[in-house]
Amino acid sequence: MAAPLSRGRRYVTLLLLLCGFGVVLFRLATLQVLQAAELTVKADRQHQKTVSLEGVRGTIVDRHGKMLAMNLEVPSVFGVPTAIESPARTARSLSPVLRVRADELERKLRQDRGFVWLARKLDPEQGRQLERMPMEGIGVVLEGRRFYPKGPLLSHVLGFAGMDGEGLEGIERRYESHLHGEKRVTVLQRDALGRTVFPKELSSEQSPAPGHRLVLTIDEVIQYIVEKELEEAVARAAAKSGTMIVMDPSTGAVLASAVSPRFDPNAVSALGPDRWRNRALTDTYEPGSTMKAILAAAVIEERVMKPETLVFGEQGRMAVANTTIHDHEKLGWLSFAQVIQKSSNIGAAKAGMALGEQRLYRYLQSFGFGERTEIDLPGEAAGLLKQPRAWERRTLASISMGQEIGVTPMQMVSAVAAIANGGVLMRPYIVSEIRDAQGQALKEVLPHVKRRVISPETARTVTTILESVVTDGTGGKAAIAGFRVAGKTGTAQKIDSHTRRYSASQFVSSFVGYVPANNPRLAMIVVIDEPRGESWGGTVAAPVFNCVGERVLNYLGVSSNEAVKLAMASGKP
Amino acid sequence: MRMLALFIGLCLVFLFVWERVDIVRVGYQVERLKAEKVRLERERDQLRVKFSALSAPDRIAKMATEQLGMVPPQKGQVIMVQARPAGESHPHAAPAEVRIARNDLSSWGR
Repeated sequence: MAAPLSRGRRYVTLLLLLCGFGVVLFRLATLQVLQAAELTVKADRQHQKTVSLEGVRGTIVDRHGKMLAMNLEVPSVFGVPTAIESPARTARSLSPVLRVRADELERKLRQDRGFVWLARKLDPEQGRQLERMPMEGIGVVLEGRRFYPKGPLLSHVLGFAGMDGEGLEGIERRYESHLHGEKRVTVLQRDALGRTVFPKELSSEQSPAPGHRLVLTIDEVIQYIVEKELEEAVARAAAKSGTMIVMDPSTGAVLASAVSPRFDPNAVSALGPDRWRNRALTDTYEPGSTMKAILAAAVIEERVMKPETLVFGEQGRMAVANTTIHDHEKLGWLSFAQVIQKSSNIGAAKAGMALGEQRLYRYLQSFGFGERTEIDLPGEAAGLLKQPRAWERRTLASISMGQEIGVTPMQMVSAVAAIANGGVLMRPYIVSEIRDAQGQALKEVLPHVKRRVISPETARTVTTILESVVTDGTGGKAAIAGFRVAGKTGTAQKIDSHTRRYSASQFVSSFVGYVPANNPRLAMIVVIDEPRGESWGGTVAAPVFNCVGERVLNYLGVSSNEAVKLAMASGKP
Repeated sequence: MRMLALFIGLCLVFLFVWERVDIVRVGYQVERLKAEKVRLERERDQLRVKFSALSAPDRIAKMATEQLGMVPPQKGQVIMVQARPAGESHPHAAPAEVRIARNDLSSWGR
């Protein structure tokens, strides 16, 4: 049996125990009270993972819901050079999958850094190949990449998004605030292995809202027809470029807008602005004789002349302000309607002079020249329309035949669409609806009337004149069997950048018009820049109007009056 | 009585521990399902892009002309006419649009 502890030993033991507990208590107080705040933060940092989430960028679809642009999560590959034993071997293995030269990869992997991008935003298939070959020091993260599944179709209107997903051009840029997804920071709990355990707060776990869905006025099929015909015409004429717009004149909705040559927005990094700028809005040109359609509307509305008013053609030469205006043929007496039909510069100059500077300027402004059309696309030019006080002695005559004025194709087609629309100018638009990710409509864009520019009666009279341009005048090749076509040709000399004078070899050939003239469904403009050889608007641009018009009217199921007569005469429906 | 209280106390402790463990277990399950959902959504989006690319008018036209030997209708081969739908007797009823295609204009009406 053990001897009982002496009193002294008991006190020593007690003291030691008290000291031990004291130390523990002190440590506890230090951790739990004095360092509580600091340690709580440290613990949170170890157990919690703060992630920055961004909602998926919104999609862009055509008027029938066909996909034109959408986001995909694709793999991006990074390396941790300090964790790689043999950079050369790793680079050789990755090179065929990443499609990057091995020596370039090796150079990156030999850098004295903790993190280096090897390839970003690869195709999903490349990601699957990488999954099958795990490597030390090589990691894969998913990033959003913009895809344009139709390739070059509508590229100049859609624009493109940058590497970080922000819209840089076209609709992508104009509607950036709607398209980009919500950005949100979320806190997740993780265990010792780094796996996410459970959200700290359920409410913060909700995914960030994706961007909005844009529904365009564009029709994919019409766009395809326009791009194909335009591309063929530009190639046929060996021209520098071409532009075409198809618009619904009663609403201002743009059904197609094309620029040739096209580009693929999926691979835009190597291209410059010259390839991807939307010339339908950014480039101004002297419209030439197409401006006579607007002149005719102003002259008839102001009752300065009637279609049957006689004008002398001066046998093809007329002196104005120490210069000479020429016609392409010697013309004598002709009616004002024939002035437009035969595209007489002298007749147009005389009509313009009869109208006067102020009135012509007022009508040009009213038709939308010299101001942006306010279409919902970026980069639109306002064109060039000088104030009458800055006009020189020849300017009135020049503008009457489409010189000394700069217009964009969008301005010109909008102005002519106003004549087709009974004299009412509409604002052109390209996005018809904005929807959220669930498909709920957030905004519906309704046709917007800008102003009445001429009376319905004048619009009918001008339509009759413009029809005669196609039936008996310079625009014969725009005629579409079974339909009444109204339009005007234009062949404008370009300014030679070296001589600063009108070039004898560089032209802009165009045709603008609408069909069916009695109940217009399509207003269209074709502009071909610098065609080689034959360069008349009637021979270069009018045939494109014809081909596109015929195919689009068929596609839309617009019936021809003549077909009905033909069918009735045959006795078969 | 004391034993009963101890038993109930132990049960409560086990219940509490089981609940915490189960929450963690379900948490992992939720995460797995979420990852699966994200994977399936990604696959759906990839298929959507693929479908859109395959249905591009450019591609369809190319296949139609090069593989199937089809040609676009030539001028005058498609004529749109207005016709009254079958069974429609009202004289002011809106006409329906129908599409009639034919190969040869000269054979019309035979």
